[in-house]
Amino acid sequence: MTMQRLWANPLGIPGGSHEPSGTQGDNRYSTAPRFPTIGRETAAHASAGPIFSVSGLHVHYGGAHVLKGVTLDIPRTGIQAIIGPSGCGKSTFLRALNRMNDRIAGHRIAGHVLLNGQDVYGRGVDVVALRRRIGMVFQKPIPFPMSIYESVAYAPRLHRLVRSRADQDAAVEKSLRQTGLWNEVKERLGVPASHLSGGQQQRLAIARALALDPEAILLDEPTSAIDPRGTAWIEDTLQHLGGEYTIVLVTHSIQQAARVSQRTAFFLDGEVVEEGPTDRIFHRPVDPRTEEYVTGGFG
Amino acid sequence: MVSEVARLAAARRNQEWVWSLLAAVGAASGPFVLGVIMIVLLVFAWPSIVWNGDTFFTTYIWNLGNLYGGAPVIRSGYAAASGASYGMLSFLVGTLLSSALALVLAAPVGIGVAFCLSEFAGRGVSRVLSFFIELLAGVPSVIFGLWGFVVLVPWIQRTAGPALASLLGFIPIFRGPVPTGMGLLASGVVLGAMILPIIAAVSRDALRAVPAELREQGRALGLTEWEVARDLVWRIAAPGVTASCILALGRALGETMAVLMVSGNALNYLPSTIYSPISTIAATIVALLDSAMTDATGMAIHALAELAVVLFAVTVGVNLIAPAVVRRVGRQRGWVASWVTGGNP
Amino acid sequence: MNWRYLQGHLAIAGAWGCVGVALLPLVHMFAIVVTNGERALSWTVFTTVTSGIAGGLANAIAGTFMLVGLGAAIVVPLGVMGGIYASEVREGRTVGAARLAADVLAGVPSIVIGYFGFVTMVTWLGWGFSLLAGSMALAVIMLPYVFRATDLAVQQVSDDLREASLALGATRIATVRGVVLRAATPGIVTGWLLALGIAVGETAPLIYTAGWSNYMPALKLTHAPIGYLTYVVWTFINEPFASANALAYAAGLLLMLLVLTLNVTARWAIARRA
Repeated sequence: MTMQRLWANPLGIPGGSHEPSGTQGDNRYSTAPRFPTIGRETAAHASAGPIFSVSGLHVHYGGAHVLKGVTLDIPRTGIQAIIGPSGCGKSTFLRALNRMNDRIAGHRIAGHVLLNGQDVYGRGVDVVALRRRIGMVFQKPIPFPMSIYESVAYAPRLHRLVRSRADQDAAVEKSLRQTGLWNEVKERLGVPASHLSGGQQQRLAIARALALDPEAILLDEPTSAIDPRGTAWIEDTLQHLGGEYTIVLVTHSIQQAARVSQRTAFFLDGEVVEEGPTDRIFHRPVDPRTEEYVTGGFG
Repeated sequence: MVSEVARLAAARRNQEWVWSLLAAVGAASGPFVLGVIMIVLLVFAWPSIVWNGDTFFTTYIWNLGNLYGGAPVIRSGYAAASGASYGMLSFLVGTLLSSALALVLAAPVGIGVAFCLSEFAGRGVSRVLSFFIELLAGVPSVIFGLWGFVVLVPWIQRTAGPALASLLGFIPIFRGPVPTGMGLLASGVVLGAMILPIIAAVSRDALRAVPAELREQGRALGLTEWEVARDLVWRIAAPGVTASCILALGRALGETMAVLMVSGNALNYLPSTIYSPISTIAATIVALLDSAMTDATGMAIHALAELAVVLFAVTVGVNLIAPAVVRRVGRQRGWVASWVTGGNP
Repeated sequence: MNWRYLQGHLAIAGAWGCVGVALLPLVHMFAIVVTNGERALSWTVFTTVTSGIAGGLANAIAGTFMLVGLGAAIVVPLGVMGGIYASEVREGRTVGAARLAADVLAGVPSIVIGYFGFVTMVTWLGWGFSLLAGSMALAVIMLPYVFRATDLAVQQVSDDLREASLALGATRIATVRGVVLRAATPGIVTGWLLALGIAVGETAPLIYTAGWSNYMPALKLTHAPIGYLTYVVWTFINEPFASANALAYAAGLLLMLLVLTLNVTARWAIARRA
């Protein structure tokens, strides 16, 4: 079994129109070799099951019990969508994966979040190093006060993933190609990132996360603030990336989840109501609440 | 019945008109007062401007002349005592040096405080500390002068001055001996303590104006708090922080009482070391107004008016021009915290 | 990796160090004023007047209150009305001029205003050192702060409130008086407190408009100099007599207490708005 075959269809989902298009030779994306993968243990874990294993997760903050005993496994490749109405805890869940909730007032947690078998909330875990391994993209693309080049090269340089100028150049080009931005910005890499459009800035944010060669990429409603054309670009990018990376996508748009993901989890009131292959969730949901939500009953 | 309604409506309209007028008068009072002040200052300064000419700015001897005898010297229709010569250079130098020293001392500390209040301290602690910083801003300048006179000056004279002189004495401005503790160093330190809260508070606001999401994005990339503050937040807040320093400079330039009590009130010479007594424009106006009244020609009063005009121009200029310049620089760099431009970046 | 974390810790420690350095003068000032001042503070201080180099602070205290009180009485109506005008009318030449004038006036050194007061009111108008001259000087100093605070406070009242009131048939004036002002009161009062704090601490302009008097202030507006606390701090600390120095500290303590009270009240007023 080669790596390629395993990642092309890891969960054996039959049919489906959402296969990653990377191997089709679309000339928007290059197949340039990846740069040295420091800290990436996927080779060893290729056949070792889900990348994230969450069990019995309870999260409290601000006096509210936001997540109530969530148990969910996130597959190693492909796109895992998380859907649910506002306030159901999907963002909190996502942020719990890379400990972004830590600083919220009154934050308390019970249960386990395992990244490749390691408890993310364990004693002595280096949060800074952890976040390097997990990329996150937020709803509102906020450009860094730097040039486009710098925005992408900044974090890898800080984490000592790249040293020489040549390495930096290669990393920047690689990340920008992966998000389809390279051709649009290669002539003006020195321009402030704020000059890009909203959709481009969001793709830049994805490139920023990719530059750190993460094990997983978490996206929290990445297209909510983007126009439809930008949204299409981003969804294309995600589908391409889904072949190589773990992608967890929180979205308020059930259509987006249906378009893009391989697996979907439906959250309601801090609990996972139902989880499974996207096809099944949307066409043959088990729980009546799921059916009500995906047919547009509420949310 | 109809006339009743009409009468009420008319009364109401009159009432509206009266209130609107009162409000407009209130709004006009500001420009009116300012205009009157400017006109009066210029009118009173005019004889000195004419009589002294350029030498007012280029010489440093301030001499009222012979007030008891000798014929008055008349130039361009204005009279001054014989032997009189008015040069403000020493006051100008004293003002600029003491304010510059104050800024050099206060800016790093104030910015450090701002970072603490905005980035590193928790919300409760930050609020308490902000209260104390703002309390410091409200302390009357005579109290700063009192503290400077009673605590700082003897300390400089006995401890800090000699220590500096022995450590850095090879640099001319630090060369001893230390005459008294009153002088440029004391003035700079006291002024620095006074303007520090301005820098801290305004810079803190500039830092806080940076959207919280930016910090989150930085943290998500595995940056430490310090890296987020240094590389992301700082760059966006920098124009605001610069504005705070320039506002603080404006305040330092016009400060009177505290400097009066610790500067040594030098007259007719320029400072040579950091321990030299100095005089500032503002302190001089206070110190010399009494003696100016003994000048029968009145030129001394007019000369003080010219000092007031210069002080007015410099402080107002700094306070107004600086934020505009900072706005322009920030916009060129491509990122400005919206609170500076007041709207779209 | 280690250097990154170390640098972060050092930087944060440095920032906290700056906080210590910044608060040191405040703490120290309070300390010397309290320790030296409370020694001189007894009931007699409030009832005796300064006589040369000893005595009490009764005249100075009364003088400070009268000067600041009269100044506030003059400036509050003007400043508040002006602020309301600027925030309700919003645009226009008068509004722009008023705001610009406030900004400029706030930056004018108080001694310049003192000089102005001296040549116009004390000398030219012939009032001499007097309560009225001193109050007017303080009023000019306070004006921009009252104006700006009112302007901002009224601006922040949401338009929904205004529209609701107008929809009920109230006139513009009634809306402003009844609804808008009520909502803006905490902000406006904060502006007063800020201005009062500044006025209480002023010295330079008062030296040449109010002069100094060792006696309790007579209720005369003109031709009678009047004493005030800040003068005591300035002159008496220089005297070689311990009794005078003690009075200076006592005056300093009273001033600090006044400023502290005003600040705390302002904070409370702001907190009430939330």
